[in-house]
Amino acid sequence: MIGTGFASAAAMMLIGGLIGIYLSTRASVIAAGDVWLPSGVTIPLTQPNMMAITMVFSVFIMIWAISSLGRGDRAMAYVALGLVLLMGFAVIAQTGYLLTIMELELASDVRAPLIYAVIGTHLAILGAAMVFVAVMTLRALGGEYSKKDREGVYSAALFWYVTVFLYMVVWFAIYITK
Amino acid sequence: MALTETRPETDPEVDAPAAVPAAPTVDSVLGTGDHKTIGRLWIGGGLLFLVAGLVFDLLANAEIADLSGFAIADSQGQLTQFWSLGRDLLLFGGLIPVLIGIGTYVVPLQVGSSSIAFPRGAAAALWIWGIATIILVLAYIMNGGPGGGRVDYVVLWTLALGVMILALLWAMVCIATTVLGARATGMSLEMVPVTSWGFLVFATGSVLALPVLLGELVLAYIDVKFGFLATNESREGLVSIMNSVNLAPALYFIAVPVLAMTVDIIGVHTGRPARFHRSILAIIGLFGFLAYGADMLSFAWRGRPLALDNGLLVIATVACALPILLTLALAGESMAKGKAKINTPLAAALLSGVMLLAGAVTAILGTVDPIVSFIEDIFDTSINFSFDIAGTSFHWGVRAFVVGAVALGIISGVHHWGHKIWGRSLDDRLGFLAVLATLGGTVAWGASSVVAGFLDQPGLPVSDPAGDSTVEIVNLVSAAGAGLVAAGMGLLLLNVLGVVAGRVGSAAEPWTGATLEWATASPPIPENFSPAPVVSSSTPLIDMTLEASADANNDEVAS
Repeated sequence: MIGTGFASAAAMMLIGGLIGIYLSTRASVIAAGDVWLPSGVTIPLTQPNMMAITMVFSVFIMIWAISSLGRGDRAMAYVALGLVLLMGFAVIAQTGYLLTIMELELASDVRAPLIYAVIGTHLAILGAAMVFVAVMTLRALGGEYSKKDREGVYSAALFWYVTVFLYMVVWFAIYITK
Repeated sequence: MALTETRPETDPEVDAPAAVPAAPTVDSVLGTGDHKTIGRLWIGGGLLFLVAGLVFDLLANAEIADLSGFAIADSQGQLTQFWSLGRDLLLFGGLIPVLIGIGTYVVPLQVGSSSIAFPRGAAAALWIWGIATIILVLAYIMNGGPGGGRVDYVVLWTLALGVMILALLWAMVCIATTVLGARATGMSLEMVPVTSWGFLVFATGSVLALPVLLGELVLAYIDVKFGFLATNESREGLVSIMNSVNLAPALYFIAVPVLAMTVDIIGVHTGRPARFHRSILAIIGLFGFLAYGADMLSFAWRGRPLALDNGLLVIATVACALPILLTLALAGESMAKGKAKINTPLAAALLSGVMLLAGAVTAILGTVDPIVSFIEDIFDTSINFSFDIAGTSFHWGVRAFVVGAVALGIISGVHHWGHKIWGRSLDDRLGFLAVLATLGGTVAWGASSVVAGFLDQPGLPVSDPAGDSTVEIVNLVSAAGAGLVAAGMGLLLLNVLGVVAGRVGSAAEPWTGATLEWATASPPIPENFSPAPVVSSSTPLIDMTLEASADANNDEVAS
């Protein structure tokens, strides 16, 4: 748990730093009288909102997984952990689709790298969280965790919650604020 | 495939530890999870790259000792490459890895743990760092690095540096988790030895600060990869990415574990552990807080030059001198009231503190201009006084003092725990030579860079034919200083190699202390302690000695 706490703090600082640069650069561009998003680029709300709902829902599924392990109901725990992974895949796929319909070419404008850097870094953190959850699921399948010892799953859950929190920050800073 | 960190159940007779450790083989070293082996490898690899980084710093400074043209580098771009490679290797290839090596070895012993937390993770961090550092050097050789001419290798530079930082962070997480989660029975957080506490503060602060630098490297990667920095000149701006962690007061973060080690080492070699243990922990914590706070405030991303233009940053710069002063004062009390035996660890520890204080006081000079501006704004007046040193080599002179202080701290730490690490103590005469060379080099390098700053020498070395001969002489002194520090660290490396080969030093235990690492053999048995220790204070060995005396008295009375 302690190691996961440190890793979570590092992930928060990584995204925090990038968001800080993004918002500061955006403020400078707007203060100079320019428009932030390049012309022809739109950020629809449907896909980001669906991803936000999916991520929030995955938090409850993760709580369900931990609770199931605590009650000794391993079958439900496996289902819940599998659902969390499925939701992670769904968010990644939806992000890919969103980037396609945004029509923001990476090489077209200096603002594009900032947007892609933030979104891409969060995707990388999400991928790491999914790997963590997958490894803990495999360990649970191997009989590692029980009612009294759930620390590995708690650690994966902590990192997952932080990943969801970071998505909400990205959702507000990029998709809502535009 | 075993996914767990716990050992499988085995026959206890077969699993009994061997009386004499077997000679290491290649596969045992590559696959080891033993923190002692990992620590030795960090120290060895880090010292090698530290010397290399200092040599490149020497070359860059030597080039600008003659401003009329290029004698060592071919062009300004190559000069920038030398300087940047020296800077990257010095911090992420040398100083931090050696400190991690000392921490990886000593911290589990000090807190009474049988192993470091996440042992395979600690090993993975070591090997990933080593490979990434080699790739970093190769990227520079292939004309990568900031200002490099080959885009693919500039991209490789960003990737290699990013992976190095990730690996170092991972290693630090292992050390911090050991302190927080693997302490001996009875050891509360306030009983943790000062060195281990220093590493905990160092690791925690780094985990919070270095990811922000990683974010900047991510942006740099995208910018270079997708053609936003199409020319060599535009890519030279990438040099400023690393400024925030290379300049004071943010740079003080690497001095946090050194300041902590100084307290422990002086306590052992004066026979008088520093008093007010909790206060010392608070002072070290304060120093770390100020250093990391300064790092956050001075985060100088590309296009925003580092400047002390923030009131909080000025306060942090001035305030950083206070914890150093307090620590030296406590050390001074130990020196005055204890029985100091002057040897390499003690001399290096004291001089490390003095150099750190010199750097901190010099850094305060850099706050004069912003304070004058502030007063002029508040009182709507004009004072007409300015050092005008923003963006000059003044700040790199302060860096030289801090680097020299950390180098001296490393000499002190490696000598102090050398017998514990290799089973043989390092040669004291070589050690004194290393201390003298490093001290002299630090003073020459630091003072001359500061003076050059007042003479308007830019922070980034620039071969400028319009520069005058006074600056050239000062730059030559600076180069000599960097060379002396390189020689000092080279002597330390030779000393270590001599001890590993069994050619220098002595097998006799040279000293002992009050903390748990002195309760083990040198080097310790595989599980460090048998049985696991139980402690009740911050000086467990003194408690054990008192208990043994009390038992002996009781036996005498009984008989």
